[in-house]
Amino acid sequence: MTRVVEVPAHFDDRSFDQFAAGFDTWPPEERVLLDARGTQWASPYGLVGLLTAGQALAEARKERPLLTVPASDEVRRYWTRTGFFAHAAELFEIHGKVPRAAATGPSDVLLDVTPIRASEDIHEIVGKIQENAARILTGELGIEAKATMGFAMALSEACQNIVEHAGTSGWVAVQAYTFRRRLGRRVVVIAVSDAGVGFRRSLESTQARRFGDRWGDGSALEAALIQNVSRFRDPGRGQGLAGIKRYLSRWQGKISIRSGTARLAIVPAWDDDVPLVDHLPYFPGAQVQVTIPAQSAES
Amino acid sequence: MVQTISLRHVLQEAVATPYRNLVTRATGAAVRGRIEASLAAGSGHTTLLDFSGVECLDLSCADEIVAKLLLAAASGDRVLVLAGVRDEQREALEHVLAHHHLAVAACFRGSDTPDVLGWITSDAREAFAELRRHGPADPSMLAARLAWLLDRAAVALDDLAGHRIAQQVGGIYHLVTLL
Repeated sequence: MTRVVEVPAHFDDRSFDQFAAGFDTWPPEERVLLDARGTQWASPYGLVGLLTAGQALAEARKERPLLTVPASDEVRRYWTRTGFFAHAAELFEIHGKVPRAAATGPSDVLLDVTPIRASEDIHEIVGKIQENAARILTGELGIEAKATMGFAMALSEACQNIVEHAGTSGWVAVQAYTFRRRLGRRVVVIAVSDAGVGFRRSLESTQARRFGDRWGDGSALEAALIQNVSRFRDPGRGQGLAGIKRYLSRWQGKISIRSGTARLAIVPAWDDDVPLVDHLPYFPGAQVQVTIPAQSAES
Repeated sequence: MVQTISLRHVLQEAVATPYRNLVTRATGAAVRGRIEASLAAGSGHTTLLDFSGVECLDLSCADEIVAKLLLAAASGDRVLVLAGVRDEQREALEHVLAHHHLAVAACFRGSDTPDVLGWITSDAREAFAELRRHGPADPSMLAARLAWLLDRAAVALDDLAGHRIAQQVGGIYHLVTLL
């Protein structure tokens, strides 16, 4: 038996829950086929989420999942350009024609889909991102040049959650695109995802008792994102997410974290997202999205 | 005696690659370990941490290096001063120093005048600026210069001394950056 999990046509943080629901129980008993034939567009969050599903199934010692590639030639080319298929080939049995990577000039992809396994990977990522980030942040988003370093800092801290807490490796991608549906402006999006232990298990030993009956995925996210709590006793810990929030507050940015069955977001005025959603379909590990919009004339 | 430590140099020794970004907690801990070894071997009372050549500084590295060295210095008699700091690195430094209720004197790249970073009262900040502009002072001199009551000036100077940003020599407070 094979369980077919449909990849949404427009695959982003909003439609991710529909994707997660396709697995039903985790890990699924059957072999999994991720069907992306109908996918018309995927955000970086969607792409790193797909890889996380493949990684989580591999780590659960399940049969190698299948992936059918998008029917759209344009979508396939774009996924190739982001580096997605190069990593997907290690995790999935891929069905369908995958274009060969072609050399391209400057693009909206600030950072290809990149694995995060250790501290050295974050050095490489921060080193790579700075030139492209300056071009997009100041050139397209109207953010002052010196804020580029804050962006690199936010990216570094978001990636470090994997190295420090996940207990396994993960993925990051950074891309600029026009956020038509909710904002009508250009945005830069950082998406970070891992198949690790998730926020609840990471914080359980130090925080569960404090929350009592309320303890769960939602309260674990609240402890980490709102209260800046860390599982480490070192009083210097827990500043990473606080620093990201501080940076985002200056640029009307948004951070959203999904872990297990909950999602918590710091929602800026331009967005209509719900701050905390609980009882979502389960998905392994943690998925973080940071969104920085082009600055409006008023701001 | 002042011991100057180039963070870029230590970074490249610690990670054995030509990285110019002080990022990740592991890197910060490795860099701090090398600095602590160097301080233990040296005889300097004042340590100048030179950020020249360092590009990005994230919160984890700022915490592991600057905050932890300052916390260690507070239990000894060592003074720490930052130099060659980029304006873009200010945010990470301010954030971690405020988190630990620490403060430090810092010289910024392209600027001749030192500044104070971190958790410090506005009076102490003003006193720092005054000592920088017009030189060392005792509480009565500072009170006269700023038209403050004597107690207010004394508290502000003590605050600077408590953070090892100023040192009292014969009743006169000197900024450590100018010693």
